[in-house]
Amino acid sequence: MTISPASREVADLIARCALRDRVAFRLLYERTSAKLFGVVLRILRDRGEAEDAIQDVYVKIWQRADRFVVGQTSPISWLVAVARNHALDRVRARRPAAEDLDVAVELADEAPTPDRLAEASEEGARIEKCLATLEPDRAEAVRGAYLDGFSYEELASRYAVPLNTMRTWLRRSLIKLRECLAP
Amino acid sequence: MNGERDEDEKPAGSALVAEYVLGLLSPAEHEQLARRIAADPALQAERDFWSSRFAALDDQFAPVEAPARVWPALEKRLFPVAAKTPWWDSLALWRGIAAGALSVAVATIGFSLLRPAPDSAALATQLVAALRAEGSDVQFVALYDGSGAVRLTALSGADVPNRDYELWAIQGGGAPISMGVVAINARSVVALTPEVSAGWGEGSVLAITLEPKGGAPGGIPSGPVVAQGAVTRI
Repeated sequence: MTISPASREVADLIARCALRDRVAFRLLYERTSAKLFGVVLRILRDRGEAEDAIQDVYVKIWQRADRFVVGQTSPISWLVAVARNHALDRVRARRPAAEDLDVAVELADEAPTPDRLAEASEEGARIEKCLATLEPDRAEAVRGAYLDGFSYEELASRYAVPLNTMRTWLRRSLIKLRECLAP
Repeated sequence: MNGERDEDEKPAGSALVAEYVLGLLSPAEHEQLARRIAADPALQAERDFWSSRFAALDDQFAPVEAPARVWPALEKRLFPVAAKTPWWDSLALWRGIAAGALSVAVATIGFSLLRPAPDSAALATQLVAALRAEGSDVQFVALYDGSGAVRLTALSGADVPNRDYELWAIQGGGAPISMGVVAINARSVVALTPEVSAGWGEGSVLAITLEPKGGAPGGIPSGPVVAQGAVTRI
């Protein structure tokens, strides 16, 4: 895997943040906040909450910068994971124990964002290839879970199948994906 | 389709970890699996496998400009007393150093007493400075025993790749004078240059900045101050 200069620069900024370098933190924010705001906004679907969330995300990045290990993951993936996991934590926290059906139906009307594959990296091509081996709506469900943070309830409602069926579908798809992606 | 029920009842495997990474589990299941993963390297490897594969989809998150008010709010939250002017011009900084000097000196003396003095005979005419800064892990203690050199020890902090720590003296409100690059993982002895010696004494300020490898270009601090403190008589 080759490391792009932009990626190297972000990795360097994270390393400097680990040393409490505020200038580096500001630069890191400038370089990456639009991407991470895109992540939390897409999952939370609420600008106000996304605005709170993006602050929390950068607080975490500042506090956990020392946990980033160069070479283990790409720096931007690491940042996206912090943002995505934080947004998912918020979604989980606000989700009632048994999801309100009306909400789920309402969300089902929302069209998926068709902005995929701006750039196909080698690994990107691989997961796309493996997703293509699944039935199209199941691949779409996996994508929706990752990119939109959809719950099983939301997915079941979207594809108009019972919850258990959705879960079985998805678990099967994941097992199939695992075989295709296996190193 | 057959065997759906059986698959549902399979023990925690790759698919469950994938569900975890996707965020599909209920809060209780998520919490439980998080604990199991923390304790099990095999599950950690599985989690990392899925995280890295799904990360290939990250390109599909379209960037959206965050509102302009986010950065100031964040800065206020993380760094409540952020300086706006260059640090050595800040009146608040000088006042802060003056006000803090006494307590810092007391803390430092307390600290020194807990350790065997490196040279107890030289304790007679000493100056000391504790160098630290809000929001920074880097801390140094500087001792001057009248010999014309400052002994510097880092209490905390770590090396930064391709960067060096540089020591500065600020005296009489003038521009910082470089005292050279210092190591964070070793004790340093830094000789006072005639320029520093001229204004040296109680009230001189020592500061450490993070600079490009080899030190600040042009002898003017360019990086952030990671530690600073006023020199005080013991």
